[in-house]
Amino acid sequence: MAKIGLEIHGQLTKLESKLFCPCKADYRQFEPNTNICPICMGIPGALPLLNRTAVEKATLIAMALDCKTPNKIAFFRKNYFYPDLPKNFQITQLNVYGNTSIGWEGKILVADKEIRIRRIQLEEDPGRLIYEGANERTKVTLVDYNRAGTPLVEIVTEPDFETPHQVREFLNILSDLLENLNVSDPGLEGAMRADANVSIEGGSKVEIKNIGSFHDLEKAVHFEITRQQSLAERKIEIVQETRHWDDGRKITVSARTKEEEAEYRYHLEADIPWVRINDDTKNQLQTHMPESISSKKERYVSKYGITPQVADILASDRYFSELFENAKNETNAKDVANMITTDIMGLLDTREKRETSKLSPEHLSDLVEYIKSNKITRASAKLALDEIIKNGKSLEQIINDLDLGHVSDKEELSNIITQVLNEEAKAVEDAKLNPEIVNFLVGKVMQKTRGKADPELTLSLLKKSLGFD
Amino acid sequence: MKKLVNEEEIIHVAKLMKIELADYNMHIKKVQKMLEYFDILDEANIESEELIVQETDIDKLRDDKHVIYDKKLLKFLKTYQETYVKSPKLS
Amino acid sequence: MNLGISAFNYVNSIKNGDFTVEEFIERSFERIKKVDDKLHAFLSFNDIALEKAKGIDRRISSNQKIGQCFGMPISVKDNMCVEGTKTTCASKVLENFVSPYTGTAVSRLEAEDAIIIGKTNLDEFAMGLSTEFSAYGHSKNPWNIDYVPGGSSGGSAVSVSANECIASLGSDTGGSIRNPASFCSIVGLKPTYGLVSRFGLVSYANSLEQIGPMTKTVEDSAFLLNMISGVDHNDNTTIDNKNQDYLKDIDAGIAGKKIGIVTEMTNPDGLSTSVLNATNDAIKKFEDLGANCEQVSLGMSKYAVAAYYTITSTEAGSNLARYDNIRYGYEFDSSGFEFNSYISQARSKLGPEVIRRMILGGFVPSAGHAGKYFLKALKVKSKLITEINHIFKKFDYLISPTVPIQPFKFGEKINDPVSFMLVDFNTVTANLTGIPAISVPFKIEDGLPIGIQIMANHVDEHSLLQAAYALEKTVSLPEVEI
Repeated sequence: MAKIGLEIHGQLTKLESKLFCPCKADYRQFEPNTNICPICMGIPGALPLLNRTAVEKATLIAMALDCKTPNKIAFFRKNYFYPDLPKNFQITQLNVYGNTSIGWEGKILVADKEIRIRRIQLEEDPGRLIYEGANERTKVTLVDYNRAGTPLVEIVTEPDFETPHQVREFLNILSDLLENLNVSDPGLEGAMRADANVSIEGGSKVEIKNIGSFHDLEKAVHFEITRQQSLAERKIEIVQETRHWDDGRKITVSARTKEEEAEYRYHLEADIPWVRINDDTKNQLQTHMPESISSKKERYVSKYGITPQVADILASDRYFSELFENAKNETNAKDVANMITTDIMGLLDTREKRETSKLSPEHLSDLVEYIKSNKITRASAKLALDEIIKNGKSLEQIINDLDLGHVSDKEELSNIITQVLNEEAKAVEDAKLNPEIVNFLVGKVMQKTRGKADPELTLSLLKKSLGFD
Repeated sequence: MKKLVNEEEIIHVAKLMKIELADYNMHIKKVQKMLEYFDILDEANIESEELIVQETDIDKLRDDKHVIYDKKLLKFLKTYQETYVKSPKLS
Repeated sequence: MNLGISAFNYVNSIKNGDFTVEEFIERSFERIKKVDDKLHAFLSFNDIALEKAKGIDRRISSNQKIGQCFGMPISVKDNMCVEGTKTTCASKVLENFVSPYTGTAVSRLEAEDAIIIGKTNLDEFAMGLSTEFSAYGHSKNPWNIDYVPGGSSGGSAVSVSANECIASLGSDTGGSIRNPASFCSIVGLKPTYGLVSRFGLVSYANSLEQIGPMTKTVEDSAFLLNMISGVDHNDNTTIDNKNQDYLKDIDAGIAGKKIGIVTEMTNPDGLSTSVLNATNDAIKKFEDLGANCEQVSLGMSKYAVAAYYTITSTEAGSNLARYDNIRYGYEFDSSGFEFNSYISQARSKLGPEVIRRMILGGFVPSAGHAGKYFLKALKVKSKLITEINHIFKKFDYLISPTVPIQPFKFGEKINDPVSFMLVDFNTVTANLTGIPAISVPFKIEDGLPIGIQIMANHVDEHSLLQAAYALEKTVSLPEVEI
């Protein structure tokens, strides 16, 4: 049985500013080295200014993961030299003088397995290195400090995972949780990174770093377990070491030993006083904590009669659960939920599409109501949805513009049916022998009315005309 | 720190602190002397002492607001093509 | 025009029209030209100082509102950032560093129309107590140029003492304001930790240091403290002084106050004869002023120097790590180099004293040598705070000579690290505990100054300045001859 532990770094992308300075937390839109200031650049004499909301949001995460939280938090310096580190130290948290990091000893349920959280800490992200030039000799290492100082929450688990699949599940749950708490958008590039440590029965612990994505993490863990098992079978010692994930060759390789010799000389960060987080503050945060995903799911099922599968999908997605909450009322909740999961999710499947979408909760409740009251067919509703997302016009207007009004007027429909029966004489004949052909004729009516014909009414009128009663 | 400071340790620390030393021996002697003086801390009887630290309240911390730093910081730094900072090769 | 006037007298003279700001600044530059080749207090000058002076004169004549400083020339230690100025920290590794911003203490003075006349010399990165460790040459004591001016704010002390400017801002980590103030016969105040913003001060030991005024009179220090102190949102470690006016009732005297003579700092074995005598004289003066003086033991002070150097070398090792010459520093092309080897070579330009502290700073907190030495030092610091809090329940002030010895000759102390460290013996306690401490010029003996140190409880600067003022008024010291 394998033992796997994770060390996850999640950026608090929903913050406005960096952890220790007022530069923007989300650095992604900036030209290189334009989201910097004396503080995050480590200019002499500039001092770190702790972001209050970062402490609050990190505490929320700790609470959501059932962690113990301290009454005072402290920051420490991790000293090492690297070009992406402007001060050549990282401000982070430790628990060497009592428990002073943002949370410890928590837990989370991952498909019936309890995964223990060892600790959570706040720390700053370094800058980014860019390599220019293909030639080994002329290759230049360039540094962009836009990301330096971005707030990170480091979550360290106990080695409670047993399979790569559990790891993947956990990461999905964690992503959803962070998104649901409105502290992070895990979909942003680089917003969530993870390292793993893997050991098998009787073997040493091996760290795996440099894993690009969660998908790669699952692969890397799987590879590493296999590698260790194969060594064990051949009675070869599994060396305790740090390995890197080589994405090209899809294997883990031994990292240079300089990583093990790292000596960080941890000591207190004297520029940031210990921050008192009293029970009042914690209670305040607790009461304002967004509803958990599982609680939402339960509520959707019990209160609105939504099926567990639909509730699950809806509750796990913050964007759509918000849309649902705002569009639903006493009577339409189930229909709204279904419309979201059936029709809308497919249309708004990327961040860009969601950002440019003009769909509002009012649109959604209108659509559901109109369908219910037969003012528009499901097929037309789909067309309308496309338009709404594009230009945000009201449903009424779009129905006019595109002439999507429901054709449920008996006389009008009868005329169209007569037309179809005349045009499709052969089908009419065939229908008399094979009643299923009626559906083909329904289809033709729908075609003529561009989907606006009421299907049930059409079917019954057709049947009547053909003499099937 | 009763044990003697040797050249190997000085070399290790110099590497840790990223400083190229010209004369290891001079440093060995002086560091040894100072570390010996620090041994006086052993006599201080402070094992059970609680740490006294500076504290503040969470509401005194900085508001989470984005403020653009309006000076062109790059002008004051060593830059490469006016956009990046260049680093020597990493091994 | 007498350049040896206090800030107060300067302001009155300007208001009276005795001279203009421009005239005073011009004369100051003439004085600097005359003496600074010898004294070397300054590392750089402000070339728009005269222009600023003219601007202030224009505003005075058109009756506009003028800041409290009325254009007085003030120097700033070169480890404080002033926008557009070279800020070298007296080190070769920052030879080309130009600061992109101005720190809070300096900008508060500039907002009151002070004119920053230049940046002053210091021991490299503020590590030292004689200014002998500057990478740009020594500063000399104006009382006798064969002797050190003290340090690390040596250049600041010299500039004020030699009447090159009215006042200066220095920084004090273990005595770096008080020591040179004592050696140069001026007033030097280290405020309570957190009272003055460190935004703009290049960090050496950030849990201990403070910016403070270095002036000709105690009143001037109070005057400057009024302007530079108080909460700053650019520094999370600043504390609220509730807008105290340090000038108010500064002449109230100290009748009935209880003064503790710190036994460990006034031990005859640890002081030179002249300093011992001066100390006893000072005690008599305090008693004449109506205070009750009594011996008090500060037991933990025995460990203060060891704790101080343990903490400062650790923090310095970290605070100076950023000087890898990659983002700023000095001219040294990195092409063809590998990262570690480049920065190690670049950093070898640090001076020998700084390097020694870096090496110590690598040893002390490292896991190999049991980082518990650093923890021990922190515990000593904590116990010292407890002890001092207890003592201030009974006493209003603590006194000692600022430095156990008078100024020494160049080269005298440099080679023995332990005897060198012990020069700081009387001053480090105030830094470790965070309490305010001031050095008041008291005597000139054999042509060399002796200062007396007064300490008070946390944020008790108002009372501290009263005691300093009272002592100052009991002596009349000669003018510096240079």
